[in-house]
Amino acid sequence: MATITCKDFMDRLDSWMGGNPPGDAEAHLRNCSNCRSLIEDLKAICTEASSWRTEEVEVSPRIWTSLRSHLEQEGLIHENRPAESKTTWFAGWLAALPRPALAGAYLTLLIAAAFALSRPMNKQSNQALWLADSRDSTLPLRAQLIAEQDSFASFNNANPVVTASLNKNLAIVDNYIALCEKSVQEEPQNEVARDYLYEAYQQKADLLAQMTERGENNR
Amino acid sequence: MVGNTAEAEDLTQEAFLQLFRKIATFRGESAFSTWLHRLAVNVVLMKLRKKSGTETSLDEMTEPDEESGGPRRDFGTPDLRLSGSIDRVNLQRAVEQLPPGYKAVFVLHDVQGYEHNEIAEIMECSIGNSKSQLHKARMRLRELLHEAVRDKAREDRKAASAEAGSED
Repeated sequence: MATITCKDFMDRLDSWMGGNPPGDAEAHLRNCSNCRSLIEDLKAICTEASSWRTEEVEVSPRIWTSLRSHLEQEGLIHENRPAESKTTWFAGWLAALPRPALAGAYLTLLIAAAFALSRPMNKQSNQALWLADSRDSTLPLRAQLIAEQDSFASFNNANPVVTASLNKNLAIVDNYIALCEKSVQEEPQNEVARDYLYEAYQQKADLLAQMTERGENNR
Repeated sequence: MVGNTAEAEDLTQEAFLQLFRKIATFRGESAFSTWLHRLAVNVVLMKLRKKSGTETSLDEMTEPDEESGGPRRDFGTPDLRLSGSIDRVNLQRAVEQLPPGYKAVFVLHDVQGYEHNEIAEIMECSIGNSKSQLHKARMRLRELLHEAVRDKAREDRKAASAEAGSED
């Protein structure tokens, strides 16, 4: 087999390194100790480097604390997140509450909204169309949530402490929804932003369902 | 990639901050993991660029010139064999001396095991470019390791002659 020069060998090296050398390169390697030494060195470097791969580094907890603090400062997350508020609700009340009667209605609305929000993306659609589409999909749900909130306000005055707590939680969820709506307005075609908005509405629906149920029990 | 745990942790935090700030810009055109990795690599590259004190393009970060000790395409003078002298400490020191772009491709491919098509997506370059940068990174590492071996041999010789002198 025709052999090649060291320069030819070097020129082609990056095209086959990591795989098998072509025939002429292999023939060159048999006869050239310099290039053989080069290949051995490169292999040794790769072997040593790949041995670092198995090490999992545990990040210090201070990083997560600091990260959370930064995110709160920038208003990207809030100290009393809706998810946590919901947990408090469940911890305190779930055992006492019967299955919310309105949950089915909310669920139907939410499923309809989810379908509308997660329809396959059409790359040809422009931003205005997406925005209008997002609005059309979410407006009925939004209106329904506002109506439910108003009706709750009319009868739930039995316990001022509980009412204050509920209203506080509602304010948090509303703030979250406002942020999500802003994101969707800025990036109407962004599926993640739309998912977040859907999730925010879902959280409000859950909260309102429980508030309504509680209000009816207090009548 | 930065060779320092505290710095790596700070960069981890910065990468997650960027994630929260830029999540709305994720368009789903690539896998989320690729998008996140690209974001993290960019955070590290920015840091390394700042460290070097100059604003440089990716090409400059990966294509150092002759004066800055870029990879030479020489193929002779194997005066010292590396086999047996490549260990964790030596290689880590050499990796730390690589230009940021070389370092990123080397770490992604040889340490973390990414394929060239994945690296191309993460680094926003062509597959050929990724292969070429990796090859140059390895060649530069070999040079740096050779230099380290030569320095060590020189020091050993000096120590031996000093010892011989003191015995006379």
